[in-house]
Amino acid sequence: MVLEALEREGVEYIFGYPGGANLPLYQHLPEHPRLKHILVRHEQGAAHMADGYARASGRPGVVFATSGPGALNLVTGLCTAYMDSVPMIAITGQVVSTQVGRDAFQESDVIGATSSVTKHSYLVTRIDQLPRVIHEAFHIATTGRPGPVLIDICKDVQQAEAERRADGFQIPGYRLNGHADAGQAKQAAEALSGAERPVILAGHGVILSKGEPQLRELAEAAATPVGTTLLGIGAFPVKHPLSLHMTGFMGTGWCLKAVQNADVLMMVGMRVDDRVTAKLAEFAPKVTTFIHVDIDGSEMGKNVRPHIELVADAKAAMAAMLPHLGPVRHGRGSWLAQVDAWREEHPLRYKHSNGRLQPQDVLIDMYRRANSEAIVVADVGQNQIWAALWWNYDRPGLFINSGGAGTMGFALPAAIGAKFGRPDVPVWCVAGEGGFVMTAQELSVAVEHQLDVKIVLLNNFSLGMVRQFQDDFYGGVRSQVDLTHMPDFVKLSEAYGMPALRVEKFEDIGPSLDAAQRTKGPFLIDFRIDPEANVYPIVPLGKSLNEFWEMPSDG
Amino acid sequence: MPEMLDMPLRPASPATSPQVGRSEKVRILSVVVEDSPNTLTKLAGAIRRRGFHVRGISVGPGRQPGLSRITLEVDHGHAEADQVRKQIERLIEVHEVQDLTDDDVHTRELVVAKVDTSELARLLQHGAKVISSAPHRTTIEFSGSRNEVFDFVEELARHGIVDVVRSGPVVMRRGA
Repeated sequence: MVLEALEREGVEYIFGYPGGANLPLYQHLPEHPRLKHILVRHEQGAAHMADGYARASGRPGVVFATSGPGALNLVTGLCTAYMDSVPMIAITGQVVSTQVGRDAFQESDVIGATSSVTKHSYLVTRIDQLPRVIHEAFHIATTGRPGPVLIDICKDVQQAEAERRADGFQIPGYRLNGHADAGQAKQAAEALSGAERPVILAGHGVILSKGEPQLRELAEAAATPVGTTLLGIGAFPVKHPLSLHMTGFMGTGWCLKAVQNADVLMMVGMRVDDRVTAKLAEFAPKVTTFIHVDIDGSEMGKNVRPHIELVADAKAAMAAMLPHLGPVRHGRGSWLAQVDAWREEHPLRYKHSNGRLQPQDVLIDMYRRANSEAIVVADVGQNQIWAALWWNYDRPGLFINSGGAGTMGFALPAAIGAKFGRPDVPVWCVAGEGGFVMTAQELSVAVEHQLDVKIVLLNNFSLGMVRQFQDDFYGGVRSQVDLTHMPDFVKLSEAYGMPALRVEKFEDIGPSLDAAQRTKGPFLIDFRIDPEANVYPIVPLGKSLNEFWEMPSDG
Repeated sequence: MPEMLDMPLRPASPATSPQVGRSEKVRILSVVVEDSPNTLTKLAGAIRRRGFHVRGISVGPGRQPGLSRITLEVDHGHAEADQVRKQIERLIEVHEVQDLTDDDVHTRELVVAKVDTSELARLLQHGAKVISSAPHRTTIEFSGSRNEVFDFVEELARHGIVDVVRSGPVVMRRGA
């Protein structure tokens, strides 16, 4: 019954792990060859694979896990997807309905444990609920602001037979905000054209709504520079003359200058969280008109109170604004010239490899090969910010990372999921050694399916981002960040049955990447990078965006 | 008596005035929800997760089968006042939220108390009704606005309460 419903929803892959409470599903799985099941090595891996699959393909990722520990191992992965608005369906087995509440073997309150990290969840105790619930779950996961939906199904329900009934929705409490209010769209457009120093910041919502063409048109027609959030990367081409690249506390200097000096700031498809604002009281202090566009009405005023709000799909809102754009205000040219001057004054800089391998050199060489086609899946930490800043992403969907939750261990399973979702596109996994070992067991999945996932390990033998914070903001006390004792990653890869290389010198970057690209199937390169390499620019914790630090010039 | 002393006569937060609808930080919401086993946990979870605090709650059947009405008094802490309504509205179990904070409303809370029969006369004067009586103990009820209930409970405290229970609020807009 469950499997038929999944077929009807067009599911291609299921990432899962069997156990006592979902055995009936697995018993019937072989009867459904259209549903390809990927056996993971840990349930967290399944959740991240489904997440990576969804982000790369645009289709909801599906996860199976058993009750108790199986389901609870999904929690981090559900939270990761929830924070970043990724559509996902998690189907967990629950103990038989008559055992619920008796502390049965492997029973846990999965709904209770996951309700704060899911968009919605269901406990199914009767077979007649099932077809409707599955259909609703896919609808809820993929519409409006997407997110993970969990369906906890009692084992006896999985075994029950029932007639297939018409799939109908019964979700009167689910409200979708699609359309933009014409009056507000006009107001927003007029504010943007009438501004002296306008800036647009674009988030994940622009990508989810496929609104990049409208964003570009809006920016060009209103002669307005555009920065993106970490998850909005790709919504606007980095090499566009109006691009501010990435905003936030590790954003580019010229973007932060523009935001802090803007008089009209339009924030579209984003939550305006603390990583974007830094010190909230001093965020964009010269703004007289905040425009906020988001499909989730609860984002309005959650962190910044907008003067003009559009609760709508980002694409629809921008499309509604376009016809109302007036001639841009006189003097816009000098604002754009000022932004260009800041771009010259505060470029991204790094210390080229001189004896010690620099991570940026690795990323730049990768980018040169990628030809705007490869997907990069980054982990969390310095590797993530380097990968965000040093590739000139020119379209959406090429950069995947855990932005909101900041989940270490995300990259490898998410890259595997992304490759299943986009087998036609090269997939690179960029990770630090700390995050990599958190989910390294999933290498087996990459080897088993001979997936073309190339793993670039930026190995600095430490928790680099934490080390950088300790050095700069916590009195220089390096505490519990040393990761000297790690496996030999080349031997580890070989133990899993895949080739790998170790690279310590600049000259070996190119040949090692050549080797990775020539090899079919998974490949790992252990880049031994400068352990002192830092992320710049960076805004000290608790400070305003004005106070960003750049790379010290002595480097 | 000790029970009485443990019970706050006024809401805990100094920012909260007992005058319902006049406080700065407490929002009064009337919420129509699905009558399902998950609803209350999800509602309570959404409130807790955002740093809000429930000051008063009552739950009863709604007008349609399958729906319940929850009346909530919620302290919104450091969040913007309207966030309470918005965060609750996001829940799929929630069908409708009305924010009645700034409206002209009727509010009723209920008190049921056991008192010494010898003390009864004064309480009846105050508007209490007798539910049942025994030789020494009488059970009475009183309902009224929050202020009236506060005053009544203070009055009770002077008259040797044996036991007292109070309900959360029910609130309805005034007028047609």
